Amino acid sequence: MQHRLSAEDRAFQQEMRDFFTNRIPDEARTWHKDGEVDPEALRIAQRAMHDAGLAVPHWPVEWGGKDWTELQRHIWRTEMQATGTPPPLAFNTNMIGPVIATFGSQEQKERFLPPTASLDIWWCQGFSEPDAGSDLASLRTTAVRDGDEYVVNGQKTWTTLGQFADWIFALVRTDPNAPKKQMGISMLLIKMDSPGVTLRPIKLIDGGHEVNEVFFDNVRVPADQLVGEENKGWDYAKFLLGNERVGVAPVGSIKRKLADAKAFAAQTKTAAGTLLDDPLLAARIAELETELMALEVTVMRVAGSSHDGKPDPASSILKLRGSQLQQDVLELITDIAGPASLQWQPIDGVGEWAAESVPTYLNFRKASIYGGSNEVQRSVISGGILGLKG
Amino acid sequence: MDFTLDDEQRALQSAVREMAGRLVRQATSGDVAVGPQPVDREVWSSLAEMGLLGLPFGEDAGGMGASAVEVVLASSELGAARLQAPYADALAAAAMVADAESAPDGLLEQIVEGSQLVFTALAEPGRAWDPEHPETTAVEQDGTWRVTGRKLGTTALSEVDAVVTTAFCCETACVFLVRQPAVKDGVIELDGAEAIRLGGPELLQAGLSLGIVALAGEALGCMGAALTMTTDYLKTRKQFGVPLATFQTLTQRAADMYVSVELARSTALFAAMAISENATDGATASRAKALLGRTGRHVGQEAIQLHGGIGMTAEYAVGHYTSRLTAIEHTFGDSRYHLGLLARGLADHEMVDVLV
Ligand SMILES: Cc1cc2nc3c(=O)[nH]c(=O)nc-3n(C[C@H](O)[C@H](O)[C@H](O)COP(=O)(O)OP(=O)(O)OC[C@H]3O[C@@H](n4cnc5c(N)ncnc54)[C@H](O)[C@@H]3O)c2cc1C
Repeated sequence: MQHRLSAEDRAFQQEMRDFFTNRIPDEARTWHKDGEVDPEALRIAQRAMHDAGLAVPHWPVEWGGKDWTELQRHIWRTEMQATGTPPPLAFNTNMIGPVIATFGSQEQKERFLPPTASLDIWWCQGFSEPDAGSDLASLRTTAVRDGDEYVVNGQKTWTTLGQFADWIFALVRTDPNAPKKQMGISMLLIKMDSPGVTLRPIKLIDGGHEVNEVFFDNVRVPADQLVGEENKGWDYAKFLLGNERVGVAPVGSIKRKLADAKAFAAQTKTAAGTLLDDPLLAARIAELETELMALEVTVMRVAGSSHDGKPDPASSILKLRGSQLQQDVLELITDIAGPASLQWQPIDGVGEWAAESVPTYLNFRKASIYGGSNEVQRSVISGGILGLKG
Repeated sequence: MDFTLDDEQRALQSAVREMAGRLVRQATSGDVAVGPQPVDREVWSSLAEMGLLGLPFGEDAGGMGASAVEVVLASSELGAARLQAPYADALAAAAMVADAESAPDGLLEQIVEGSQLVFTALAEPGRAWDPEHPETTAVEQDGTWRVTGRKLGTTALSEVDAVVTTAFCCETACVFLVRQPAVKDGVIELDGAEAIRLGGPELLQAGLSLGIVALAGEALGCMGAALTMTTDYLKTRKQFGVPLATFQTLTQRAADMYVSVELARSTALFAAMAISENATDGATASRAKALLGRTGRHVGQEAIQLHGGIGMTAEYAVGHYTSRLTAIEHTFGDSRYHLGLLARGLADHEMVDVLV
């Protein structure tokens, strides 16, 4: 056990800090404009990381990975987020990339992994359906084999950033007669511009458009775009969701936001100084900093003990607390904005942050819903760790 | 103490419910409105026609001579119907006009009949909410008051005929009326603007108390409706082949939401009764605002969470309620501000005594 960074790790941290501070073009850092994601900013940032060999450090070395320790990966991720750099697109680098690298054919690896790492292909995730949310295995979209093709019919929903995507990785039902509903599901890679694919935007409560419904109407998908084996899709999905959870405690982003919150409080005047001097507000910030410390060191402890790429069930802690803390900090920022948060338009003499505070707070209610809701995470903990069923 | 509604109060409730239901259908046809809305003239004249703008004011001014309890009942219906109107704000402003040492002749009548839009402008850009310590100043010259400073107001500012605002003078915060204020980019620029002095800190507290009670009612309406939507959803939405209501972790949380709503209901009604009797009872107003802020947050956040993804969408009302509850909490001081006020007054009493 050791609680400090070694000299080597500290040097690594400095190297990452220098890279993310100096080598990411500034225009990539404002990747949220008027509540919408700017796809160009994501492309610019990921390309810069890719050119420096830093886009997919957790992949197999053969495909651009960096045999780093878990600690180094954590430092990489945290330094990136702390500088406001948009992280590499999670659908590409945390989700489908590792699945293809682990279960895909050699031909699929060669075809997809390089453009997935560089974001020359933009992926989206087609898992959820209107009646299959937490209960993903009850999905109904079908794929019927017809010669060298699958014919896909059905509907996906909540497809994040599908409007920018070139490809979707979708779970489809290939064997409706399988004895259990988790069986008979396959994972298909589908081009978004295939005939029969249509997209309908869904507007969220912050007024922004980031999710979509995706409809498949007799979409023909070449059979070589099946990942791994037919009817084994559920295994790949579980592998993918496990990875999603591990990467999901956004410690660096929460740190950045909390530091911003302090700066905003220090700009906000009161009769006795600034809001940062207010004991109630200061106590709340101190409490959040304490909880953030607990989360960060737990990330390190959990990450350090996961083996063979199999996620530790304790990674559910990270999803649960990561999403809660993220939400708490955004809530704090709306409170700092106070009366200026009432108008969602920038006001003269008040930072743009105040106008954005409530839409952002509302938008991030999603963090405890997607990627396995917090209730689902608690079930993983109670069932998988504590042995409490039901 | 008696919380039972009489026939007249129930009649008011159902009349407002009917009107709000009719208006909101028009307001939500077409594209979905997200975020704060400008004042809707049709809604405003309907509020006036029903007498809601004059609910707690004297009949000599065209008012209904009712109490703050009726205000809670009415605003609760507006909240439940998702009728976004700066009702609480207008009542706070009108209350300060009504009780002013001197106010322009006939202004209260015009507010009550809906022909003059008068809102508050109490917050200041770049400053935390604290209307009792404004940076804005006022000076008297040849019998005319002039006010200098910058203020924030409701989103309805572009339509406003006059604002009720605070400025520092006579070694304290005083309340002023400014007609046709200059509005630029959402900020009111008062640059030696001619003003009428309405009164001192007590008048401010009285106006805010009524405003807080009206907000509390609106929050109750939002919370009650969000809870009903949530329980309905838990009964109908199926996952894993069973209704969500089969999962105890969800039903227990719905029960906690119910607890929050009912504590808020008693608090809002109690505060209304207390404030009807003593409009300068700041401690009760602050306790009510702090409690409503917290419970509003609890109920709003849980309503979205228990709905899952659908709760996040603009088409579905649960998020609108949560959005509105968030705005309500940041109007007239949030929980932190009011707890701060209460904390400073702790030494004034031994036991907390409510039933006096
Ligand atoms: C903004 C956003 C972006 C998303 N992006 C994507 C995407 O890109 N691709 C994709 O495939 N999906 C995406 N999702 C979908 C997301 O994964 C689902 O919303 C999530 O799985 C929850 O499903 P649901 O919305 O159907 O809610 P439901 O499953 O209906 O759940 C409703 C409530 O019940 C609870 N609940 C459900 N089952 C249980 C249980 N067994 N025990 C206890 N509580 C339970 C839930 O926790 C929740 O509180 C996104 C969702 C959102 C909101």
